[in-house]
Amino acid sequence: MNLVDTTTEHVVEGIGVAPGIAIGPAYLYARAAFEIEDRRIASENLEGELVRFEQAVSRSERDLRKIAAVAREKLGESSADIFVAQALMLRDAAFYEAVVEHIRSDRMSADYAAHVVMSHHRQLLEAGESEYLRERANDMLDLQDRVVRHLRRGKILSTIDAESIVVAESLTAADIVLFSQRAILGTALDYGGATSHVSLMARALGLPAIVGMHGVTEQVASGDMLVLDGLTGRVVINPTEDTLAFYRDRQKRYRQLQKEQKKIVSLPAQTFDGHNVRLMANLEFMEELELVEEYGAEGVGLFRTEVLFLMRKRVSLSEEEQFKAYRRIVESVAPHPTTFRMLDFGGDKMLPLGHREHNPFLGWRGVRVLLDKPEMLHPQLRAIVRASHFGPLRILLPMVTELNEVYAFKERLGTVYEEFAREGLEYDPDIPVGIMVEVPSVAIKATRFAREVDFFSIGTNDLTQYTLAVDRGNDLVADKYQELDPAILQLIRQTVEAAHACGIGVSVCGELAARAVATPILLGLGIDELSASPIYLPEVKRVLRSIRMEEARALADQALQARDAHEVTSLLEVWLREHDCDVASMLEA
Amino acid sequence: MIVRAAAKFQADFFIRKDEFEINGKSIIGVMTLAAEQGACLTLVFKGEDENEAAGAIARLFESGFGEEL
Repeated sequence: MNLVDTTTEHVVEGIGVAPGIAIGPAYLYARAAFEIEDRRIASENLEGELVRFEQAVSRSERDLRKIAAVAREKLGESSADIFVAQALMLRDAAFYEAVVEHIRSDRMSADYAAHVVMSHHRQLLEAGESEYLRERANDMLDLQDRVVRHLRRGKILSTIDAESIVVAESLTAADIVLFSQRAILGTALDYGGATSHVSLMARALGLPAIVGMHGVTEQVASGDMLVLDGLTGRVVINPTEDTLAFYRDRQKRYRQLQKEQKKIVSLPAQTFDGHNVRLMANLEFMEELELVEEYGAEGVGLFRTEVLFLMRKRVSLSEEEQFKAYRRIVESVAPHPTTFRMLDFGGDKMLPLGHREHNPFLGWRGVRVLLDKPEMLHPQLRAIVRASHFGPLRILLPMVTELNEVYAFKERLGTVYEEFAREGLEYDPDIPVGIMVEVPSVAIKATRFAREVDFFSIGTNDLTQYTLAVDRGNDLVADKYQELDPAILQLIRQTVEAAHACGIGVSVCGELAARAVATPILLGLGIDELSASPIYLPEVKRVLRSIRMEEARALADQALQARDAHEVTSLLEVWLREHDCDVASMLEA
Repeated sequence: MIVRAAAKFQADFFIRKDEFEINGKSIIGVMTLAAEQGACLTLVFKGEDENEAAGAIARLFESGFGEEL
């Protein structure tokens, strides 16, 4: 069904989740649903069916070994494990022999037998309490799909055109790993979010990707010329010659920039005149840990602990489960510190408590929930305090608005310290505790807060939303969402001044920290640390290294006097051009 | 992890939980046993190198499988 005229140029927008620019023909990938029928075979076909099954298993094994090898090389051992385990299952007697038995004695077709055996095991896993095992049930489904596909039409891969842009409703992380071997140029998907596994995998593989394109599969036909811009989240279908020329130029400049960024990773995060700024990583997934070092981050400035919970779709994880995750992160990031933000449910992160509010952003979220729900706070605190023995860490409190919340939290932390002392456990008794500055009232009262905490972390996304009263998810007003509004800059300045007067540091961990174009202003305002998704750090560092602090301060003063965010942006653009950093503005587009 | 360790030995290896018994050399078997932390398991080893096998598996349990989330 084509509602749009597909012969002329048009643009579809989504969420760019892996940067880069791809130009090439579309390949429409239909992840066909494999309906399994109860099919029986004639006895004279018995041996043939067994051979067919063996071939499908050995082909699946070869696939999985290949996928595991790529995953190991690109993402590390832990990401490869899942595929190694799948490969082991193929030859496991509980699968292989059981299927052979069904074919022999019940005359089932190999597809149906594989389905019957796997369904049986899956049901056992799904019946259990453990989320981990339920995820393994999904692995079994993947495995079944893979074997069935090989049974039915041979190699999955032969259907994908090399050097094409894959357009699909959705893909699994495993699909992406496999496709990257066919040298596909990029991918555009109807579904998926920035934090889904497929997005993570695309970023790790350096494959430009856009998700959440709602209906792109209905507007594209295989062979259509596409431009995919992972930086802006834009796909141009059937581009004109002019558009193509524009994007070829942009692609060239982006590649040039990437080359420079590679060199920059190993250089110190220091301004031109020798002022050090700590660049840290924002993380959500365990799988992203390896990116910390790869992109030269000096620690983790924000680990969003709620993602561990959301991925398991549960309100509570045991102390033990959390401890294992935190310990692994801390050990991997050491000697640099890891900043754990306490559970921040509410707002746009739906509280999995079956609880609804008219105005969740102004409701029960962050520290407000934590203090009301000791059954959530206590295990998390114990898990973090236990992990503190294994490497440096910091605690960050979300959505603080009152001093009393800080006092109450510290009391709870004190209780946990006492428990540990009593139990004779080893821990760091002086874990730094900081707060998110994301509500204007905290920035206004920053002097009082600075005496009570060990650091500030400014969350520019929420600070902008709360200060300017703009819901950026609302298309009618989204253009008013401007992180560089002079009012926001003023709040940042106030926060920094209060912090420095008390001798504590300030970090920025919102999206503003990832925008290299804003780096000169943030430095000029006195920010000590910037924390962003690792892939953005090299570009931030590149701009940072060309800055002289005196000039940055002057620029910040000017920006504070500006009329609006547009004037601030113009100031920055001029500044970047004068400092020969204008490639940065290209990435902003 | 158990499966890989057990595969190195000749001896048959079974794990019992409640009324179920599964083959300890089968990854699917071990998974579907759905043993959560704190579950009570009986391990049975039969064969020439049963003592060595039992020792190796016991060490694995003691080390907490070096487990990670």
